[in-house]
Amino acid sequence: MSTGIRIENLQKTYGQGDNAVEVIKGACFEVQRGELAALIAPSGAGKSTLLMMIGCVLEPSGGEIWLGDTQVYADRWTTKDARTIRREKIGFIFQAHYLIPFLNVLENVSLLPQTNKEPEALIRKRATQLLDYLGLGEKLYAMPSDLSGGQNQRVAIARALATEPQIILADEPTAALDIERAHSVAKLLRQIAKEQQVAIIMVTHDERLLPYCDKILKINEGKIDTSQVESDQVI
Amino acid sequence: MINLAYKDIRHTLSKFLVTAMGVGMLLGIVLIMIGVYRGMADDARMLLRDINADLWVVQQQTLGPFAESSRLHQDTQDILRALDGVDKTAALTLQNIQLYNRQQQAVRVMAVGFDPAGDFQIIPAQRILAGRSLRAQHFEMVVTDKTGFQLGEQIALGRDTYHVVGVVQGSVSSSGDPLVYISLKDAQNVQFSYSNPRIRNDRARGLLGQNTQLVNTVVAKVRPGYSAQEVAEQIETWKHLTAYTHEQQATILSRNVIERSSKQIGLFTAILVLVSGIIIGLIIYTMTLEKIKEISIMKLIGIPSRMVVKMIMQETLLLGAIAFVFGNIFAHLIYAQFPKRVVLMWNDSLLLFAIILTASFLASLVGVYKVMKADPASAIGG
Repeated sequence: MSTGIRIENLQKTYGQGDNAVEVIKGACFEVQRGELAALIAPSGAGKSTLLMMIGCVLEPSGGEIWLGDTQVYADRWTTKDARTIRREKIGFIFQAHYLIPFLNVLENVSLLPQTNKEPEALIRKRATQLLDYLGLGEKLYAMPSDLSGGQNQRVAIARALATEPQIILADEPTAALDIERAHSVAKLLRQIAKEQQVAIIMVTHDERLLPYCDKILKINEGKIDTSQVESDQVI
Repeated sequence: MINLAYKDIRHTLSKFLVTAMGVGMLLGIVLIMIGVYRGMADDARMLLRDINADLWVVQQQTLGPFAESSRLHQDTQDILRALDGVDKTAALTLQNIQLYNRQQQAVRVMAVGFDPAGDFQIIPAQRILAGRSLRAQHFEMVVTDKTGFQLGEQIALGRDTYHVVGVVQGSVSSSGDPLVYISLKDAQNVQFSYSNPRIRNDRARGLLGQNTQLVNTVVAKVRPGYSAQEVAEQIETWKHLTAYTHEQQATILSRNVIERSSKQIGLFTAILVLVSGIIIGLIIYTMTLEKIKEISIMKLIGIPSRMVVKMIMQETLLLGAIAFVFGNIFAHLIYAQFPKRVVLMWNDSLLLFAIILTASFLASLVGVYKVMKADPASAIGG
């Protein structure tokens, strides 16, 4: 397995001087491609801050971020266009599906690859394969409003996979689902991590989903405690 | 490549069309306002065009007969006809009167008096819808269709009853009142004859007789090879009258008769265009705000801003264009219901189209500003 994402001494401080609040204090962790990692922490501990930094949305105060072999942050962004990094290397899944309501399933999945100027036929073929893989082969032309919450979340997963990213950041993807569907999505994410060889970091509050993960990243006073999930516990 | 604007509009087509219709009705009102101005300007010159005289001779130092009152002796037409360079002349009277229709409702008109036996064509043949022009020297009347009077109808005017012998199309005065045509002799009686009590009163005061041989203007055609301006100067120098060329009279009409009204309408139209622009801006702002979560998501997952900006701009311009089409349809459906003439011209429509497209473009910048300000981080953490 190769490295999906590696974080070295990542820091984030909001404000300056006496008003400075240090939220992340030298976080270090690594998630391999093919691994599903759970990111857990109490509310206000800095989950969203960490997710935004590794998603290249929020600039850290210091440290290093590696996506695969590419160093994207070394005390400053190594590229001017963070959006291109997001588009090419990172997939996002959110609490709600946040699909574009006026595009059908196939268009939602095809939109992002189209901006990478890939051939239209190739994009369509890959999007169709992905949707088929996620059990939505019959719903290519359905609108998001015509699908169930679980189906929409699977479309959102397909969208996140459409550009073949190195890492997927899933921000509480099961929060809006009932426990049965939550287990189903967690299982699917694990399957995707293994089969698509992508590193997935899933923010969750639900400890019942931890057995699906290979690794648990716990934010503890601004640092990351990493623990492996015992193989006999993995579902 | 997926066209986001097309997809978004298709998704909310009825809402988009209803919005465009609303803006379109506003634009329709703008078009009507411009049409009212055009109608006013066109009406002001209609009689001028119909009579098509080279010279308008009026009382000295007046702006008659449209902008100021003017009185001349009727024989002025004979004096002028004798001048070198003058081909033919006609004496005219113009006065506002009220007629009463069969339902005894007042119909305000402008009566044009001319000599039916004269050699000047006052009523253009192409305007006659039914009947004929005046022939008799008394008690015949030609009416404009907008008066509502019919061919053959009897109309009471002063002490006499007039017979409608002809109906013409769309003849109006500079103030927009429909025209009626009567003989010069009848017109002089209506305008200059006094009532019996007034005559008795005048006689008691020692004022004897009354001069009804007056007219408001004498129009003239100059002979080929003569300059209207030079003939006008000759008239002013030797006859103690004021003479205006066709162009000068047109200028008087536009500057003195309709200037204030046209400025008023122009200002009102400008405000309406501004309000339309602001409304389009607000609509686009609201439409963008409705999509701000999706826009944040798009920016977060890496969709280039230019793609979202393109969607906003295309939707705005399309909204402006569809509103313009609706506005034109609306204006063409209702313009005939207005009491005064409304002239809808395509070049005005095209000018408004250019203004609305520009306003729409500027309005879209409001949406673009919101897109650029949308924080992709707001998509994370719910």
